Amino acid sequence: MKIKRRAFLVLGSLLGLSPYLNAQVINGFQKEFKEVEKTLYAVQDHMFPEGCPLPSAQAMYMTQFLYDTMQHHSFDKDIKAFVIEGAKELQKREKGKFNTMSSKEKEKALRAYEETRYGSSWLSRIMTLSMEGMFSDPIYGSNTKEAGWKALGSYGSFPRPKTKYLES
Amino acid sequence: MYDVVIIGSGASGGAVAYTLCKAGYKVAVLEKGRLMRREAFSKDELAYCRRDLVTPNLFDEYHTIEEKVEGKWVATPTHESGWSFWNGNIVGGSSNLMSGMFHRLHPDDFRLKSKYGAIKGANIEDWPISYDDLEPYYTLAEELVGISGHHIPHRYEPKRSTPNFSQPPTKENAVVKLLDKSCENLGFTPLVTPRAVLSKDSNGRKACYYSNLCGSYGCSSGAKGSARESLINPALATGNLTLLTNSHVKRLQSDSQDKVHAALVVDTITGKERYIKGKIFVVAAQSHESARLLLNSSNQYHPKGLGNSSGELGKNLIFSGGGAGQGELQKENLKQIKFEDLMTTGLFVNRSILDWYFIDHWWDGKFKGGSVEFMFEHQNLISRARKDNEVKGKLVWGKALGERVEKRFQEQKSIRFEIFNDWLPNDDCFVSLDPTHKDKYGMPVGKLRVEGHPQDIKVGKYIAKKCEKILVEMGAKEVYSSISSSPSTNLVAGGCRFGNNPKHSVLNKYCQSHDVKNLFVADASFMPTGGSVAYTWTIYANAFRVADHIIEQLNITKI
Repeated sequence: MKIKRRAFLVLGSLLGLSPYLNAQVINGFQKEFKEVEKTLYAVQDHMFPEGCPLPSAQAMYMTQFLYDTMQHHSFDKDIKAFVIEGAKELQKREKGKFNTMSSKEKEKALRAYEETRYGSSWLSRIMTLSMEGMFSDPIYGSNTKEAGWKALGSYGSFPRPKTKYLES
Repeated sequence: MYDVVIIGSGASGGAVAYTLCKAGYKVAVLEKGRLMRREAFSKDELAYCRRDLVTPNLFDEYHTIEEKVEGKWVATPTHESGWSFWNGNIVGGSSNLMSGMFHRLHPDDFRLKSKYGAIKGANIEDWPISYDDLEPYYTLAEELVGISGHHIPHRYEPKRSTPNFSQPPTKENAVVKLLDKSCENLGFTPLVTPRAVLSKDSNGRKACYYSNLCGSYGCSSGAKGSARESLINPALATGNLTLLTNSHVKRLQSDSQDKVHAALVVDTITGKERYIKGKIFVVAAQSHESARLLLNSSNQYHPKGLGNSSGELGKNLIFSGGGAGQGELQKENLKQIKFEDLMTTGLFVNRSILDWYFIDHWWDGKFKGGSVEFMFEHQNLISRARKDNEVKGKLVWGKALGERVEKRFQEQKSIRFEIFNDWLPNDDCFVSLDPTHKDKYGMPVGKLRVEGHPQDIKVGKYIAKKCEKILVEMGAKEVYSSISSSPSTNLVAGGCRFGNNPKHSVLNKYCQSHDVKNLFVADASFMPTGGSVAYTWTIYANAFRVADHIIEQLNITKI
């Protein structure tokens, strides 16, 4: 059954809709993203920390990738809203302290968030978008020096893109 | 005024355009999407497989899909579900993005009702033509589109008028040794998959360079037999083809009972509308969209939709039944072949099984079965890295995630099978016009009800069990299969059935409207039943046949 996705993504947050949902301009998104940027980074950093077989969120500029990929007009606006709303909800659940928590505390907070259907789906989406950056062509700004591909031992095929689809 | 106006530039539109242009007629092809040349196609997973680079944004153009919820039909727009039914809106259509596993239908596919009888709840009808009528066009498509392969006689392999393919098979991964041996051990017969991919240079198209990414991507060597490479480009070279891109047809206009005189076209970039006039109109927009266009073209003469005096327009839409299965060939327990050879990238598996195309077994019974294709799991990096990163419903992250992904890529390779069996036509699978939803051009969107028939699942599961045995025999681990009643959004046919009786069919045996004599539908819409293989070879072949008939009609008009 695939009919409930939008209702789930957009209306599932306890906080309700962000005002930017109705705004058609990029600036609205830019402002909303800025508000949750540190939380998004903290989550990505916890999922992809330094010293693991896969490159880290920091080294892969995963949060910047998240912004770049979502700001394009072709990106699904419901998912865009979901990413923002889900981060706000995490902030609220943890009373604004998530970003400064220790790794152990973050693990506990995220696992608790994962217990909710909404939180579980949001974390899954953040992982998907982060991996899109890490394993897509380096032209998109993540996967720097092909570090993501090197970790897999598998590389992108040829011909590689000469331009970003984001430029269209 | 053009001799012929074709709506859509995919497999069928390309075949008709090619034939008519070669015969010297002036043709206009109206393509909703843009032209992407060979050089423009890259292996950009993010663009082609994670975003909508070659299909419309679902918030602009969409379908509504009806599913049964608690006993009631509920229609949901695809921008809400994320379930896209678009398939490559660029010149050449979805043929640019296909995997190119091609099979002919079996002669009995043309007479399923006569051969196996009616099935309760299914609207099966025999075709008004036979395999022999289509065989020369299968052969023509094999040459023009460029299908490589090696013919192995088999009881369910249809007869050929040529002894073998002119292009040898594409290169194969060492896994075929293991697969062939395993099939032999089990008494099954693997066949070499005919593939619409050139193994040798031909007519300005380069041979396959084994990029490792074929399906879902455009081909940058021209090896893949897309309509753009094999038919539209040569048609353009005749000087007789006018290719109008970014041109979406909103409706067909009629000025009399039995004739279309113009297509109302909107420029998808400027929004400007204009009429394109022609002597003959050929609709080739892919089944669900072709039916929608004709329904949206209703007028005073055709209040139920253009050419719909039978009331059959949009009905008996079909997809492909079946499903898929997979197993892991692991470094630690791989047999018969070297792990390095298995991990060689780019080479094809190229194996099909037709042993269960028809079942006639003392215990299992007598029924129509299906075909099977073997392949590696799609080699996209993002999707492979992302899949199955959960344990007991919880996401794996951090060090454990890295180790898990590393092992998946470096110590195993997934071997996969896909089953194709008939999607039986039935009363709950059709396209109509949504009464409220409209696309960005102001036209009602197609509403698709997509219910399958229980027999489809039964057949799929029967074949899946056999295929799982093959994977186990190969030594694969974690073997599973999934047979689903979910429609294959990239394999759609029916909706404008052809037949001899105008009361029960939309088109005659030449895919010409019974009601409107200068209107043809050349895509897979004509198919009363779909057979148990991917449709594309049959779409190409039938469109060549239709084009020959159109030439006859134009010649008569000249006289």
